[in-house]
Amino acid sequence: MDDQSGVGRDLTLAAACVAAVFLFALLSPAFGTAGNAATVLRNGYELWLIALGMTLLMAMGAIDVSVGAVMGVTAILTGQALLADLPLGVVMLVGPAAGAMLGLCAGAVVVWGRIPAIVATLGLFGVFRMLIFLVLGGQWLSGLPADLTRVVDWRAAGVPAGLLIVALAYGAAWVFLRRTTYGPHLLAIGFDEDRARLMGLAVTRVRLATFAASGALCGLAGVFYIAIYRNVSMTIGADIALEAVAAVILGGTPIFGGRISLVGTVLGVLLLRILQNGLLLIGVPSLWQTVVTGALLLGVLSAEVVLRRARTGAA
Amino acid sequence: MTIARLASCLSIAALSAALPLSVAAQDTPSVAFVPQLIGIPYFNAMENGGNAAAEDLGMQFIYQGPVDANPLDQLQIVESLISRGVDAIAVSVLDASAIAPLVDSAASQDAILFTSDSDAADSGRPVYVAQATDEGLGFKLIDELVARVGDDATIGIVSGEATASNLNAWIGFMRDRVAAEYPGVTLLDPEFAGGTAERAAQLSTDLIAAHPDLDAIIAVASSTCPGVAQAIETSGKEIMGTGYCSPNTARAYLKSGAFGFTVLWDPYQLGYLTVWAGKQLIDGAGFAAENEVPTFDAPVTFDAETGILLLGEPFVFTAENVDDFDF
Repeated sequence: MDDQSGVGRDLTLAAACVAAVFLFALLSPAFGTAGNAATVLRNGYELWLIALGMTLLMAMGAIDVSVGAVMGVTAILTGQALLADLPLGVVMLVGPAAGAMLGLCAGAVVVWGRIPAIVATLGLFGVFRMLIFLVLGGQWLSGLPADLTRVVDWRAAGVPAGLLIVALAYGAAWVFLRRTTYGPHLLAIGFDEDRARLMGLAVTRVRLATFAASGALCGLAGVFYIAIYRNVSMTIGADIALEAVAAVILGGTPIFGGRISLVGTVLGVLLLRILQNGLLLIGVPSLWQTVVTGALLLGVLSAEVVLRRARTGAA
Repeated sequence: MTIARLASCLSIAALSAALPLSVAAQDTPSVAFVPQLIGIPYFNAMENGGNAAAEDLGMQFIYQGPVDANPLDQLQIVESLISRGVDAIAVSVLDASAIAPLVDSAASQDAILFTSDSDAADSGRPVYVAQATDEGLGFKLIDELVARVGDDATIGIVSGEATASNLNAWIGFMRDRVAAEYPGVTLLDPEFAGGTAERAAQLSTDLIAAHPDLDAIIAVASSTCPGVAQAIETSGKEIMGTGYCSPNTARAYLKSGAFGFTVLWDPYQLGYLTVWAGKQLIDGAGFAAENEVPTFDAPVTFDAETGILLLGEPFVFTAENVDDFDF
């Protein structure tokens, strides 16, 4: 699945993460501690989950910019399930189930409405934001019970359960991509949808399933959000769609589809979170963090263009 | 942010379409209030106060604002209210430089533009309905905090949008107070979380890691309060959270001890006073140095030089009194 340049990108990203870690550790004594490493990972949970769904969508040539609002709606449902004293197992399933439904809605609009994914999901983003507003009615959910927090922070042999769940999600995606026909079909659609249809692939089914899977992952991110922050405000998830797209592109899955790198997405999210945490720890004002991540994205993309030109020029 | 911006434009368009096209055709004078952000308890309370005042004073009250504290959206909403013929429009200013030019263009269309809750001082607005002076708020918070954590404390600041003029003014006065009265206190540079509680929590967690000797964190924007409190609870350290947080938002954290106290005012009364001020402006009645306002216990002071109509002293909310309030 990872072609040659994809593996190269993974190595570059891994090297960038390591370099950033060394640099920040050198400049700030607070960075290289076990506690801070745990914080960086913990801050990445929701973005990893949402970026996984986004990776699948983008490999297929689609995108979903409503992911932040889907996380918002599912976080509210999870919070209310928690307040209603439902069994914890049920509370944890409410989010992913509702997320899958919302993802399926987005897929249906894109597939049957024949509307480009970015337009359809932008419209749904507005609708879901309004839903959040109506459900919250202007009041915040805040000071929620810590039941889910204990689940996510519970450690098995030193590894937090939250990290295990994220790893499981990526593992499951990897198995589906590599061991079933889902992977090749997904990439075929991303490469050329019409040709995939002519070849007799179940294009509609694959597209709907991918939107639903992405929605379910957003729902799981909503559960994590409640576990970690224990409050929901109106603005929940306002920035996370762009962060996810940035992480996926950094990771080497192109925005027009046809290629996929799960390892790249894992590293892309990690690099974003390391930068956000490290820059603050070495005293760079938080206002500059978005500039740094934006510049990083532009740098990677233009380096890619230059390299490709050099390669085709040589051939 | 771009996505949120586009989506909120869509919803603003939908909202504007749903409201009556012309309010000028009606006989009752109309006052509008444009908050920084709809859907948070603070501005909801102002809306309630505005509605109550409109009923008492025989006015029509319009409440409309952006969904994500975006200065551009706010500008468009104000412009649409002016062209719809609303008599007086109060704005809780997000970006003073964007709002200032509108004061004149409003006057040329027979509308009065003034500020409430957050000011655009050099815009030529006739009055600023202030919840408290920026100085009073900045000083009060630092005084209360130093009294609790000591005059050698290290204090972090988490704010919201970097362009919100009221938040920046408070931070400025906090610095002044520390420089003048508490030379032993270290006040760190503010971190800006934008509008999301998630980012506020992440910034606070990083602040705690970066400064092992941190004694307190101030949540300057109400949207950052839960994030700051959550980060303090998660850290398990002896750090006192505080800020300009509404009782409903801070209640759980005041009772858990993550927050020692919060400083604010009653936004319901502020909304009431805003509509009253709008009526005075529409009637051409102006303001005296001390004004009797219906339902207010104490007279409301007006400073003719600065054009500030002042609600009163800031209020300190603690675990003991927080249940007396609901906003």
